[in-house]
Amino acid sequence: MSTPDVINDPRAELVLDVQDLVVDFAGRGSRRHRSTVKAVDGVSFDIARGEILALVGESGCGKSTIAMSVMRLITPTSGRIMSGGQDFASLRGRALRKARRRIQMIFQDPFGSLDARQTVFDTVAESLIIHKIGDTTEQRRTMVLEALNLAHLRPPERLAANFPHELSGGQRQRVAIASAMIVGPDLVIADEPVSMLDVSARSGILRLMMDLRDRLGVSYLFITHDLATAWVVADRIAVVYLGRIVETGPSAELVARPAHPYTRALLDATSDETTTSGPDTGRVLAGEAPSASSVPSGCRFHPRCPKYAELGQPAVCHTDDPTLQIVRRAAPGQREHQAACHFPSDEEQ
Amino acid sequence: MSLLEINDLSIDYKLSKGVLRAVDHVSLCVELGDSVGIVGESGCGKTTLGLAVPMLLPENATVSGGSIVLDGQQIVGLDEAEISRLRWTSVAFVFQGAMNALNPVQRVDRQILEAIRTHEPETSKQDAYARVLELFNLVGISPSRAKSYPHEFSGGMRQRAMIAMSLACRPSLLIADEPTTALDVISQAQILTLLSELRHREGLSLIMISHDLAAIKRVCDRIVVMYAGVVVESGPTEHVLGRGGGPNAALHPYTKALIRAHPDLRGERVLEEGLQGHPPDLSEPISGCRFADRCPEVMDICRTQTPPAVTLSPGHIAACHLARKDPQ
Repeated sequence: MSTPDVINDPRAELVLDVQDLVVDFAGRGSRRHRSTVKAVDGVSFDIARGEILALVGESGCGKSTIAMSVMRLITPTSGRIMSGGQDFASLRGRALRKARRRIQMIFQDPFGSLDARQTVFDTVAESLIIHKIGDTTEQRRTMVLEALNLAHLRPPERLAANFPHELSGGQRQRVAIASAMIVGPDLVIADEPVSMLDVSARSGILRLMMDLRDRLGVSYLFITHDLATAWVVADRIAVVYLGRIVETGPSAELVARPAHPYTRALLDATSDETTTSGPDTGRVLAGEAPSASSVPSGCRFHPRCPKYAELGQPAVCHTDDPTLQIVRRAAPGQREHQAACHFPSDEEQ
Repeated sequence: MSLLEINDLSIDYKLSKGVLRAVDHVSLCVELGDSVGIVGESGCGKTTLGLAVPMLLPENATVSGGSIVLDGQQIVGLDEAEISRLRWTSVAFVFQGAMNALNPVQRVDRQILEAIRTHEPETSKQDAYARVLELFNLVGISPSRAKSYPHEFSGGMRQRAMIAMSLACRPSLLIADEPTTALDVISQAQILTLLSELRHREGLSLIMISHDLAAIKRVCDRIVVMYAGVVVESGPTEHVLGRGGGPNAALHPYTKALIRAHPDLRGERVLEEGLQGHPPDLSEPISGCRFADRCPEVMDICRTQTPPAVTLSPGHIAACHLARKDPQ
């Protein structure tokens, strides 16, 4: 897997720079006593041109809320979302619509995200019309067929006339990719793009995304619950727990030496090691992720943390909220490995 | 005698365009205390096969051949009243997305109580409620949460409650269709651990239907791989899902493709190539191997002759012409 050199250059152009993103949702209660749910609680990350960053976490951890904020489908409570010299967090109206061309999104459900009454051609051409790209119908037609070809929907002339129900799940997701790519975005947000596809169709879609990164230099924010897929697809991984990034680093490094106990638990849950030899509850994290409306004190992971229990419940874990610290210096040309844990591990997995 | 013996079973769906054979001469055996995984992609017939055991097939489906013997009793041909006596007490089925099938306006304990009282009218209300609390314990939910409504439970807890309900009448066989699909990673691991525990502690036999090889590998001793209505490979899990070739590894190119499709965190950090194309249309006649059109190792013989099932090692069977060419 070749990583373009541009990522390794610390001065590489950032296509996205998110700083201190906070998203609050109004919770239950009367207007005066309403609780707030901190879905995203101070998240910072950046993505260089041509880079793939994976946000990994359980459902409800805030990873999709982060994606929606970057797309400005949600207005963040505070923080900055810098892209192309503009702050997406404060853009409005026409300026926002214009800026959105640079950031496109691919959704999880290829069965629900395409209009059943539109042909593939009309679906992809709609992106051009929305963003007022192309002068003539003929020019748009050429662009659509090119985009279909790029997404391996071949022969494009025949597939362009198809309706979504005539396509497989994988083909539909290729249509979504073609619609996103045709406007020439800097960044594509892919929210669980393969989790609803059949196993054998998944790697085709992921390989296409990676191939387009290599050819077009597009960056991805790849959202998934599957650490193993993030590991092979992304250059860097950020692990999200209860609205915070708890660990981040180059994919290979993070999987080989997980510093945060939560990352470790995710890795254990992802492994296919057999449990048939008998119950082995020790490795599986107990309990449910707490709700974002009642975030635990200190380290938000401490009530479920195996290490906290192992170390005899050190006070610092339930009093001090840990921030991201460097656990391993960056290797040449790599980004550093950070974790928000009072007792980060440095063992090899 | 095995707990469940499925022999040469075929199931047809009647469609407007003709007849579609979803399960084609499938045989499968589950011993007492066994856990068997059925894997395959959508449309391969795995759910139809599972639904046939408690005869919960949709109306347009018919068993067109073969037999299903559960606990010594032939199921095919039984009338509805006889089958409904076996459901819940001999075999229970947890449906895909079952956690969303709980009644949202009734307390969870009441729903499980109702299941017991419906199937065992002779059990007193007190005894039945005692069993409800026992079941909550069994699936790892504190009985103090018994009086909750489904919306007060997380997805993982709702799935536990459904498993508790399926065990209400002490079945010897539990069939779970994609029991973890809609859950997140940690809850998935918890449910899989629970299923393993139930099997070891309670002696429950288990059939788990899933597209997720890792989930199957965590719970099942034996595995059956289905493709386009037929079994292409079956045997001990560690052999059938073994990587790297040889006698103790996957032989069928379809099984190998399924294994490759999920990155191995202990292996190389590469994204393997997926399969091209789609499974065949089962309402059309097929000659030769059903996988031939997508098979990376296809030979001439595959297009004309149906591959016979070949035993590779004790219990490990593959239906592939490669097995005959290279019997290691």
